[in-house]
Amino acid sequence: MAAQKMHSAKKKRMINNVIVHVSLAVLAAIWVFPIVWVILTSFRAEKGSYVSTFFPKEFTLDNYIRLFTDTSILNFPKMFMNTLIIAVFSCILATFYTLAVSYCLSRLKFKLRKPYMNMAMILGLFPGFMSMIAVYFILKAIGLTEGSLIRVALILCYSGGAGLGFQIAKGFFDTIPYAVDEAAILDGCTRWQVFKKITLPLSKPIIVYTVLTAFMAPWLDFIFAKVICRANSDQYTVALGLWKMLEKEYIDSWYTSFAAGAVLISIPIAILFLIMQRYYVDGVSGAVKG
Amino acid sequence: MKKRGVALVMAAVVAAMGISGCGGKAKKDSETGKAEKIRLMVWSPSEDQSKDSGEWLQTTCEDFAKLHPEWDITFVYGVADEATAATQVAQDPEASADVFMYANDTLTTMTDANALAKLGGKYREEIEKTNSEEVLSSLVKDSELYGVPFTTNTWFMYYDKSVFSEEDIKNLDTMLKKGAVAFPLTNSWYTPAFYIGNGCTLFGDGTDESKGVDFSGKKAVSVTDYLVDLAANPNFKIDADGSGLAGLRDGSISAIFSDSWDANAVEEALGENMGAAALPSFTLNGEQKQMMSYAGSKAVGVNPYSKNMVAAVELAVYLGSAEAQMTHYELRNVIPCNTELLADEKVANDPLVSAQNDTFNKTSILQPFVAKMNNCWVPVENMGKGIRNGSVTHENAAEQTEAMNEAMNSDGI
Repeated sequence: MAAQKMHSAKKKRMINNVIVHVSLAVLAAIWVFPIVWVILTSFRAEKGSYVSTFFPKEFTLDNYIRLFTDTSILNFPKMFMNTLIIAVFSCILATFYTLAVSYCLSRLKFKLRKPYMNMAMILGLFPGFMSMIAVYFILKAIGLTEGSLIRVALILCYSGGAGLGFQIAKGFFDTIPYAVDEAAILDGCTRWQVFKKITLPLSKPIIVYTVLTAFMAPWLDFIFAKVICRANSDQYTVALGLWKMLEKEYIDSWYTSFAAGAVLISIPIAILFLIMQRYYVDGVSGAVKG
Repeated sequence: MKKRGVALVMAAVVAAMGISGCGGKAKKDSETGKAEKIRLMVWSPSEDQSKDSGEWLQTTCEDFAKLHPEWDITFVYGVADEATAATQVAQDPEASADVFMYANDTLTTMTDANALAKLGGKYREEIEKTNSEEVLSSLVKDSELYGVPFTTNTWFMYYDKSVFSEEDIKNLDTMLKKGAVAFPLTNSWYTPAFYIGNGCTLFGDGTDESKGVDFSGKKAVSVTDYLVDLAANPNFKIDADGSGLAGLRDGSISAIFSDSWDANAVEEALGENMGAAALPSFTLNGEQKQMMSYAGSKAVGVNPYSKNMVAAVELAVYLGSAEAQMTHYELRNVIPCNTELLADEKVANDPLVSAQNDTFNKTSILQPFVAKMNNCWVPVENMGKGIRNGSVTHENAAEQTEAMNEAMNSDGI
């Protein structure tokens, strides 16, 4: 009797598992579907933007090759390098700003602390592109909207507001015991040293998170690049280039290369994520051990 | 305290740099030697500047410089295609190109932003001499001329010569009996062709905003009825997202409606059988009605903030001149609109040129560029989509047509 009961419980669990896994598999397929489609399109040999079949009839690498060889109309390698340079520098700057602001707000007590946090909260409610025309004219007044200085302008744009996005990192710093800081200060550390030698090594997960978001924002941004680059096609970023490929004059011949470009721009993000992923461990537990 | 001082010094340095930068430039301009040193910024679509298609812009500008030894010109090239140049220039005319190319439907956007210089005097006479009335009127607002036209801009028909004869392509319904035809019914640049063909009007003759849109009454309803039947015809395909071109490639479609930018793709698909023609007529309740497309032009515009106005206007006129149009045509298939060139035998025999120009001259109306025209796109698109989805039927055609007319006449979104 008991054996039979166990048997049926086992059976029940198995049925449950089957149902759960099948529905998860279906959902996973639906979620991955668009990505698979883009990847398949990037290898498609038939031309044009319209297809009647999901799977390409023929496969080719030409779409990728074309992106890097046919540079007379849309110079993809150049755009890729522009974006990479901008993204790397704004990533470094923005990460530093965010972490520094978070540290100050978490650890230092000063009069403006509360008002600043409120102000940041309210400013954060407005979308950034609301100010884009104003930003453009300010950058123009400083003379940053011509030639290769556009890169500097874009780096400033993407990193300048980073200090407002402190909330998550500050929340993380708050969880690090204050006693650790006090001990360090008693031992003669300056605030900067506490930040560099104690807080940062304990905060790897949040640093990883900040770096990733700080890198992705400029990497994927379209609107600021569009407003600031204007007719300077040698300063275009990939987002602008990919958008150009879908204009009515180009879409028919560039559509498959567009998909190839879309696949390529996901590679740096993927690499960055893979490298940083291993730091996604609990930093605070390390502090107790060490 | 010390840090704040540093910041102040930095700010002062930045400001000083900005000021001295401007000052330096002004000095250079006024120190005129034998040949005046000037800097001209020119914007064009990137194909005009690419090596593959012969660097039309660079060569033409260099030729211009040779013709004018009195100026020592430094050209600065930028990329802005005709359709989007208006937004770029209107955003900040002072930091925009001296000479740029634009599509005439963006004329109002730019004149509103005071971003387009009027052309007058001998320049205007020269332009008027070599262009047809219709082309000129596309660039005239309040009797002021705003650009140098270099090509017409409209859509026409590509067809497969092995399927349709010269006789067939005169009527859409005859064509549908012989082969599959794709038409972008859900695109409001194309769909009004049927309505305008049956006497519907936009802003009077296209320039009088107060007259409003007249897409109502029996004349419009009968077209909606016709379109409902058309969409049900198995040989009629709705062209969207490039399905028409794809159909030409695999042979399932034998005629499409598009612009000259698809010429190369169509030629690749059809080879020797490629045909191009002006729009066909359609049979509405037993009567022949002519489809009428929207037409416009592309022109070279001059920035009113240009520091070297004379040179900029001269360059604009040169970029739209017969020689420049000819090389533009040879290098990039940009169809000329200069009347002298159109008389040229080599140009006149090109079927693409005659298709576009026949359409422009005979089967099109000037696309209105009054501000209220902006309200006319979405309602027509929705009508096309309704017909495609079957939500517009013979039963509610009258009602739906009136709703479209009302929406086109309103300012709401």
